[in-house]
Amino acid sequence: MQLTLQTTREDHRIAWLAALAITIHIAESALPSPIPGIKPGLANIVTIIVLMQFGWTTAVWVALLRVVVGSLLVGTFLSPTFMLSLGGAVASLAVLGVASRLPGRGVGPVGYCVLAAMTHIAAQFWIAYWLFIPHDALFHLLPVLMTAAVIAGLVTGVIAHAVLDRLSDTDYGRHPAAAAAD
Amino acid sequence: MTRADWVIVISAVALLPFLYALYWGNAAPGDRVLVLVNGKEVLAASLATDQEFAVDGPLGTSHIKVHGGQVRFTDSPCANKLCVHTGWLHHGGEFAACLPNRVSLVVSGLNNRYDTINF
Repeated sequence: MQLTLQTTREDHRIAWLAALAITIHIAESALPSPIPGIKPGLANIVTIIVLMQFGWTTAVWVALLRVVVGSLLVGTFLSPTFMLSLGGAVASLAVLGVASRLPGRGVGPVGYCVLAAMTHIAAQFWIAYWLFIPHDALFHLLPVLMTAAVIAGLVTGVIAHAVLDRLSDTDYGRHPAAAAAD
Repeated sequence: MTRADWVIVISAVALLPFLYALYWGNAAPGDRVLVLVNGKEVLAASLATDQEFAVDGPLGTSHIKVHGGQVRFTDSPCANKLCVHTGWLHHGGEFAACLPNRVSLVVSGLNNRYDTINF
């Protein structure tokens, strides 16, 4: 018996974008970090661009696929690292979902990236505290982690902004609603 | 940058000093100082009263000063004077040590900054 899966254009788009996010995720995991546990979160650039170009649902797919497949490839699936990664992704997707429904001109890439980075760290900190290290001394790390998150958010936001600028020149693969809004 | 972007970035940056004040500024001040020679406690004093001590170790006399709720080594017979350079201490759990002269002092309080320190 042959099984055929009907795939839509949307499925292909998610697969391509997730593959891009996973590539960045893995490349980043090979980069040395000045402080363990702090990394710039470059793969989140893809999440934010997808959010702004294709909407929140696609962004959720891409981000969650990135976390699951990325952890399978790096070898951290179901490890504490994975729990932290998944928790951070779920929390920041929730916040991005709320932020993307704001009225008015809404939030731009820099705002999204800062929000996502800070939510990521806040959620990961909470998970680390409740699951792994329930010690008050952990709170001494929070200011440093949050500073890193704000800096990482600004840097990734500026990169996302630059990428979106280039994308709007080409008009490739734009969300119909976004294209109509111009 | 939209207006929402500015609001997010400014509130994010404004949150940071608040976090530092909340989690780094709250180590309770100590209220007593213990002075040890060769690991044995020779003196315990309150940080509330300004006073000075001279403590004898194997090399000579170390001078310790309590002033305004803080304590420090003011002079020591050792060569590199690390204990003097440690400066004023006032948080619970903070310590200074002169290893050559075997004299150390540790601030104690209800809420110590460190439980244990290993070298």
